[in-house]
Amino acid sequence: MEVDPMNIISLEKVSFRFENSKLEIIDNVSFEAKKGEFVSIIGPSGCGKSTLLRIIAGLITPSSGRVFFGGREIIEPNRKLSFVFQDFALLPWLTNIENVKIGLSRSDASDEAKDKKASELLERFGLGGFEEYYPNALSGGMKQRVGIARAIASDPEVLLMDEPFSSLDELTATSLRSDIIYMLENKNISVNSVVMVTHNVEEAVELSDKVIVLSDKPSHVKSILKIRGGRPRDKRSKQFAEYMDEIYAVLAKD
Amino acid sequence: MDFLALVLLLILDASASWARMFVALGISILISIVIGVYAAISPRAEKLILPVVDVLQTIPILAFFPFALYIFVVFLPGYIGINAAVVFLIITSMVWNIILGVYESIRTLPKEFLEVSDLYHFDRIERLRKIYIPAALPRIVEQSILSWSIGLFYLVTSEIFSVGISQDRVGYGIGVAFASLAYQGALPYLTGIVVFICFVVATRFLFFRPLENYSTRYMRQQAKVQPTAQGYERAVLNWVSRKIPKAPVILSANRIVRGRKHVSHISASADRPNLRPLYYALLAIVAVAVLYLFASNPSLLGYEAEVLPALAASFARVWFAFLFMILISVPVCVYLIFSSKQGSKYMLLFQVIASIPATILLPAIAVTLKSGELVAFVVFLLSGVWYIIFSIMASTRTLPSSIFEVQKIFGVKGRNAWKNIYIKAIIPGLITGAITGIAAEWNASIVAEYFTTSGVTGTTNVVSSVGIGIGKLLDLSLAPGGQGLGLMIIALLNLVVMILLINTFVWKRFYRQISKVYGG
Repeated sequence: MEVDPMNIISLEKVSFRFENSKLEIIDNVSFEAKKGEFVSIIGPSGCGKSTLLRIIAGLITPSSGRVFFGGREIIEPNRKLSFVFQDFALLPWLTNIENVKIGLSRSDASDEAKDKKASELLERFGLGGFEEYYPNALSGGMKQRVGIARAIASDPEVLLMDEPFSSLDELTATSLRSDIIYMLENKNISVNSVVMVTHNVEEAVELSDKVIVLSDKPSHVKSILKIRGGRPRDKRSKQFAEYMDEIYAVLAKD
Repeated sequence: MDFLALVLLLILDASASWARMFVALGISILISIVIGVYAAISPRAEKLILPVVDVLQTIPILAFFPFALYIFVVFLPGYIGINAAVVFLIITSMVWNIILGVYESIRTLPKEFLEVSDLYHFDRIERLRKIYIPAALPRIVEQSILSWSIGLFYLVTSEIFSVGISQDRVGYGIGVAFASLAYQGALPYLTGIVVFICFVVATRFLFFRPLENYSTRYMRQQAKVQPTAQGYERAVLNWVSRKIPKAPVILSANRIVRGRKHVSHISASADRPNLRPLYYALLAIVAVAVLYLFASNPSLLGYEAEVLPALAASFARVWFAFLFMILISVPVCVYLIFSSKQGSKYMLLFQVIASIPATILLPAIAVTLKSGELVAFVVFLLSGVWYIIFSIMASTRTLPSSIFEVQKIFGVKGRNAWKNIYIKAIIPGLITGAITGIAAEWNASIVAEYFTTSGVTGTTNVVSSVGIGIGKLLDLSLAPGGQGLGLMIIALLNLVVMILLINTFVWKRFYRQISKVYGG
């Protein structure tokens, strides 16, 4: 089949149901994420957004349909696709620097080189000095910074994020959002596409180039919205409000 | 027909044993609810109950059985006395972990539930009925399954033992049957084992499985891996579960599970009051008592000279077997937790196998292996290894599923995975399991190191024996012509002091170190 070279991620008629279950969770979902794009997936809670993201990551195999990364089908997790978890998913028994080094598991670099890279990353995220602490000693925002540092340690091209800011307070979330946008727009950082699952409409409009609105179970794509204009965006502008209204309208529609 | 008569007799024996087990379990659960709830809601009670339970849990109570038997038989008429002694002993094996289970599930209950009960002015009984018991039920059932396996070991061993040393036998009982079956050849013996396994399996599926489903029914959607029964088994279960009355559901256990820290054992013990003063006080009392005994009775020093080498020999055996247990259980658990998709099915199988006490296999083991040392090793291994496996599996069951996803996403494999994920994830469970597993080994020592069938044949027939060991010494001290109560008490004292010292200076230290990392 034809693959648009600009599409980093493309989903083709992806459906999912649990084994031995008739209930369809995800129904025929197709969309693309292009190079440089920030794509948000939004939908009612429990609609299978997180499952969809895990299918893209190669953690879950779809019942039918295919997911491509740069033209190759994703069948298992891949070092070019990384993941940021809602509950941070730091290993409690590892120090912060060891947790970041988990992100370098596939790398052949020496242990010293990994140490160096991991501590540079922690430094960059404002966690210098916390290398030898355990995650339990950190606040939620700091934990998620460790989670993001771990996710980008292996220089991934795509960052998949599962409600990454929903368990953080608003101030922390705001600063982490701008960190993510910085990584996406900075050419020196490997990340050149982000797919984020969220249930926060404002967050989706603030960050995304494209918003995929999913329906309730079984999830299918209700609408794909392009958000124009550079970031940072003015949340009080008329245009911003119109985008939000539009998404709310699509979500409310049966 | 002889065979039919044998089977019927075995069923009768097993039923008598099971009746004792059910009585013991019922009493254990009642005691657990009372004490566990009390410890959870009263800080003062907590300070007393938890350390005491902790200590009692790790003391080899089976070694006290001859003593208990003696007391019960003196105070109660023959048949009742001996049955009461057996039931009492089973309770002492079953009750501790259920108490801790009740305590932990109520302690981890979200505050809101209690606020709700305040809001609606629940009285004590209503609180118990509507909040505490439903909240603790999943852990009660889970721990009862474990207790049942432990209890079977005690049941069989104490029944066999009662045959050996007392005039008053328990009459019918599967342990009694095994003591004599060992003499009747392979077929009756195997028939006995088959009947026993049938009872174990039937109990697991017809009694505990429905209870399990009933007690966890409101967390089902949340469950990560669901043990699913199929086909015939499912049909039987459905039939059974329909017979169980439905009670109103008022709690969402999702919240209980989420509220619990992922290493429940460790975090709970980190919350507990400091046990040290109590340990030291206990040690001091024991030390004073021992000094007094020795001072007032110099002949005890002679006992001590007999006891210490025996204790050392058993210690070496117990810890050698323990090393093997770790070598077996660590890879098995890592496989079940991190690789196998059928983990819950294996667990069910393990639970059934674990319910078969090493004691009933002992005659066969003794005949096949011949060497007393080997027999002791195998019995130690079989009696302790399950504790480690179950403890590891229980402590990792609450690991968030994202940890498995982290492993896949970042491709954590091989040495890296062993070092950074597997070993560290199972350590808390491993330590809890090690303490109880080693306690189980010491319990087993009175049958592992010395096994006779004297009571059955009338003549003392030593089936298997090690050269020297504390279990053997305890057995012999009570045998006709033995050195009697004095030696036994000295031996018990030595054993208990040693176990308390190891708990305090080895295990508690480990606990403290890891709870710093896992607990916070």
